[in-house]
Amino acid sequence: MLARKLPLILHNLPWSVSSRAGSDLARRHYDVIVVGGGHAGTEAAAAAARVGAETLLITQKIATIGALSCNPSLGGVGKGHLVRELDALDGLCGRAGDWAGVHFSILNRSKGPAVWGPRAQLDRERYRQFIQSELLSTPRLTVLEGSVEELLVSQSNPNEPGHHRVTGICLVNGSQPILSSSVVLTTGTFLSGSLFMGQTTTPGGRIGDAPSCSGLSHTLRETLGLRVGRLKTGTPPRIVKESVELSLVQIQTPDKEPTPFSFLNTHTHCKPEEQLPCYLTHTTPGVERVVRESLHLNCHIQQDSKGPRYCPSIESRVLRFPGRQHQVWLEPEGLTSDLLYPQGLTMTMPPDLQLRLLREIPALHRAEIRTPGYGVHYDFVCPTQLNPSLQVKSTQGLFLAGQINGTTGYEEAAAQGLWAGVNAARAALSLPLLALCRTQSYIGVLIDDLVGRGVTEPYRMFTSRAEFRTSLRPDNADIRLTPRGFEEVGCVSLRRYKEAVRVRDSLQEGLAALKSVTLSSTRWREKLGNISLSESRNGSLNGLDLLQYKDVSFEMLAAIFPEHLSPYLEFSQRLNIEAVYRPHCEKQSREIERVQEEESLSLPPDMDYLSLPTSLSSEVRELLDRVRPNTLGAATRIPGMTPAAIVHLLHYVLRTAQRNQHTGQRVKAACKP
Amino acid sequence: MRCHGRCGVAVVRVSGPASSMVLRNMTGLTQTLPPPRTALLRRITDPHTKELLDRGLVLWFPGPHSFTGEDSAEFHVHGGPAVITAVLQGLGSLKGVRPAEAGEFTRRAFHAGKLGLTEVEGLGDLIHAETEAQRRQALRQMDGELGHLYQDWSSRLKRCLAHVEAFIDFSEDELIEDGVLNQVDSSVHRLQTEIERHLGDERRGERLRNGVQVVIAGATNAGKSSLLNTLCQRPAAIVSPIPGTTRDVVEASLDIGGFPVLLSDTAGLRDGLDSVEREGVRRARQRVEQADLTLVVVDSTQLPTEPKQAPTFLQGYLSIVLPQPSGGNPEEGREATSDRVLLVLNKSDLVPEAQKERTERELRESLGLPPACFLSCHTTTGLGDFLAVLQSRVKTLCGNPLSGAPSLTQARHRAHLQQSVQALSQYHQYRNHDLALAAEGVRLALTHIGRITGRVGAEEILDIVFRDFCIGK
Repeated sequence: MLARKLPLILHNLPWSVSSRAGSDLARRHYDVIVVGGGHAGTEAAAAAARVGAETLLITQKIATIGALSCNPSLGGVGKGHLVRELDALDGLCGRAGDWAGVHFSILNRSKGPAVWGPRAQLDRERYRQFIQSELLSTPRLTVLEGSVEELLVSQSNPNEPGHHRVTGICLVNGSQPILSSSVVLTTGTFLSGSLFMGQTTTPGGRIGDAPSCSGLSHTLRETLGLRVGRLKTGTPPRIVKESVELSLVQIQTPDKEPTPFSFLNTHTHCKPEEQLPCYLTHTTPGVERVVRESLHLNCHIQQDSKGPRYCPSIESRVLRFPGRQHQVWLEPEGLTSDLLYPQGLTMTMPPDLQLRLLREIPALHRAEIRTPGYGVHYDFVCPTQLNPSLQVKSTQGLFLAGQINGTTGYEEAAAQGLWAGVNAARAALSLPLLALCRTQSYIGVLIDDLVGRGVTEPYRMFTSRAEFRTSLRPDNADIRLTPRGFEEVGCVSLRRYKEAVRVRDSLQEGLAALKSVTLSSTRWREKLGNISLSESRNGSLNGLDLLQYKDVSFEMLAAIFPEHLSPYLEFSQRLNIEAVYRPHCEKQSREIERVQEEESLSLPPDMDYLSLPTSLSSEVRELLDRVRPNTLGAATRIPGMTPAAIVHLLHYVLRTAQRNQHTGQRVKAACKP
Repeated sequence: MRCHGRCGVAVVRVSGPASSMVLRNMTGLTQTLPPPRTALLRRITDPHTKELLDRGLVLWFPGPHSFTGEDSAEFHVHGGPAVITAVLQGLGSLKGVRPAEAGEFTRRAFHAGKLGLTEVEGLGDLIHAETEAQRRQALRQMDGELGHLYQDWSSRLKRCLAHVEAFIDFSEDELIEDGVLNQVDSSVHRLQTEIERHLGDERRGERLRNGVQVVIAGATNAGKSSLLNTLCQRPAAIVSPIPGTTRDVVEASLDIGGFPVLLSDTAGLRDGLDSVEREGVRRARQRVEQADLTLVVVDSTQLPTEPKQAPTFLQGYLSIVLPQPSGGNPEEGREATSDRVLLVLNKSDLVPEAQKERTERELRESLGLPPACFLSCHTTTGLGDFLAVLQSRVKTLCGNPLSGAPSLTQARHRAHLQQSVQALSQYHQYRNHDLALAAEGVRLALTHIGRITGRVGAEEILDIVFRDFCIGK
């Protein structure tokens, strides 16, 4: 069953911008090898190359690089935050979304800028083209078609049993191994993946693609001794658009003015008037009936591995919340596509029953299915075995990103991919590994949650996971991340850096200018018309105070003080937001500082907690031994930790740090504000 | 701020940039700070009411020459829980001051490079002991009604937050009814009211007493002192008379039926009705106002010989001795009075038996009077019955979660509850135009309650979201 592909070097795809051939073909040693061409793999490869590593991306089919395997959309609440942060670090997906989007909207527009959710429906074809052309024009990056047979690791060091080092990979049919300093595995659902539809089960990670080689899974489990768990997910059937009764659905129109994801773009590729609508319809009691009648024919539902609670199949939705109408969104698949994607109708029953179910919905009463829905079961590596750099603790040079770490979603995968790529490159170039702090970014929250707490179900980003949500907004991702991405991480281009610095400085100046314009509340009222202002103590209010009132905008103030404020009109929306949020962010800053201080103290991964020569209770020792926190901050978040134990740990860590100042590779937790 | 020790002298330590402000506000040193690291005897007052809390030593340690390396100040006060609690409450009412977390000073000191490694080792043990004690104490409280109350608030706040979060993260795509937020509005409002009421009720109790505060009031020759002595001399009672240090009242702590009682004799009412000593009367009344239970002592020989007139006489007597309920329904006021007052008809040995019996009957039948007991401190006749009534009263009061013994832990709870209420007002402020900032208010409130009941993680909130809503996208 295994499709055997000969290694094929990519050099003449039609849209290839600067196809690279020649000397790279024979290259048998890379700094970084990335396995997998999904959202995690493409971001990882591009990031590694940006940092300066000679990078090889290996994928089963070059044609599926950048494919959107599931829903044709990007962003949303929480996920949109990730896209903005990826873009701030010069990742691909933001710009790809701007290129491929056919329906843009900011979710949560009325709920406050901290939780705005930029989202777009995408044209699948355009998205893939953009990602492929970006990768092909990235210097230092080679793309190779092939299947990885084996991960090569060095023999475990007798002094450090269980510790390995990555040396490269072996391809199926590859005569020689390809060597590298780092390997990033982004195998998605392909790690021991099996597909479920009705009562049939076939090995694989995505329909139409060959399964990945079982050798990789074996190496991870047996050679490296990694703990592996099993998760499931699924995708809905794709419906022929013509067969849908569009007169029976509600139309959802996009924003009139599309907002780009990328900080570099001022507009989207799709013109505002060319955007496509989405459609909303609902399930009926008939749908529930079909689900109940088909349960005995549905292997996927009967499996007890964990699926996501927030992206459940229609089967689990009606079983958990019976007797209700559930929403079904019909989303366009692209400008030229004749298909609709029914969001909310993931199902794994036999195809004939899928059709019966769909036709219970009035608008779909004569629907035709192009490809049926199916479920996937796959292995993931328990992510608590990783460092915040996304390197496997026990294996130097091995990095994991995406669904292999137990997450779900394009954006979550891309975020890990970028960060794993950065660190894989830095490890290969002998630079210190880096961590992103949860006080600074959603990517940091994501990774910290994964490596600190692990997962029990596919992990998806929600804004409620970020305790510093007020500070981590989609609007300020560039200021939070771009300067550091350039100065310290090395994954950001000079052009983007300069722009971010310009924006940062202008915002600072703009805020200072706002502070400098003061009038008495009476005078403000005269100038602004009928606005209710509370009397201030000394009678005068400055521009920042005024922006606290929801009816006052920067534009209104700029009209009163054009000489002071009009230079900053370009940033009026961001200044409005900054002015309102600043006091709240300042309130959080003490807590942030405390967290950062504790995060900056890393605990050695191989610490022997059970015999640590310090007075810790045996309960605490066992707790620490089991969780093995990466930093003192992570240790304080372990339920059951006592303040006394933290003091002892602090003491121990500082003493050890003094002793080992010159030795060992430590994860440098950089959390500078 | 942080308090060390539970002995004769308590040291309350304040650290951080606001320390000099705190020192000024608590000691009335408006102009200059004390010379660094020099003990100064000062009156320590409540920063808002200016009420005298204690006289004690204050010290000023400008950073970096202090324990933590930051500006800090110390208050050396009398070690009784009442004084400590009052000082902590005073501090807590200042903006930017909060109780230190266990080990926080040590950590700060360590970060400032002020502590050697051995010192940390030693302090670690100390903190361990302290937190162990606090933990056990907290556990005891958490088992009781107070614990249930806090847990209930915490779980209601959790639910509020989960519903707001569900609305933020999912309402654009999912069927989440708009009514969800309206429910949260009223829940948040109810919580605010309840916590505020709790704080208001608790304040009196916490401020001055270590146990149920019982005040003896009445005219001088009624036999108040005899009553105090009689109660104190009972062999079953554990008595430790403390001369008042800050107020001219005599206090004794007793153990009545296993419950801690702080008995005090108000000297301020020693004069008659038309006395010029208004200040004395005022203070005594204030004292009575703050008491959990007032024993109004009456000289039985002064009772009208006609028993039918006794209720009217006693009403008049009470209205002089007790503070008048300000405004409101007189019926309600009377009810509240009878819960908090016991009439002690002393010198019963000097009243004819027949008059005593008939008066007792009249009093039982008359409405609106607190329970009355005939008693002779001299012969101890009637003492058994009186003690039984007193004990059942005290028991009821102790069963009331709001009358628990104050402690450092409670002062900490109080501070967190206050911050929680403040945070909830942020919810209402932003509810209509920035739900993210409104949610932040609920999250802060939950964090503060969580410092009492245990931390609430994001996963718990998500659990509620997925339990209560069908999220499909």
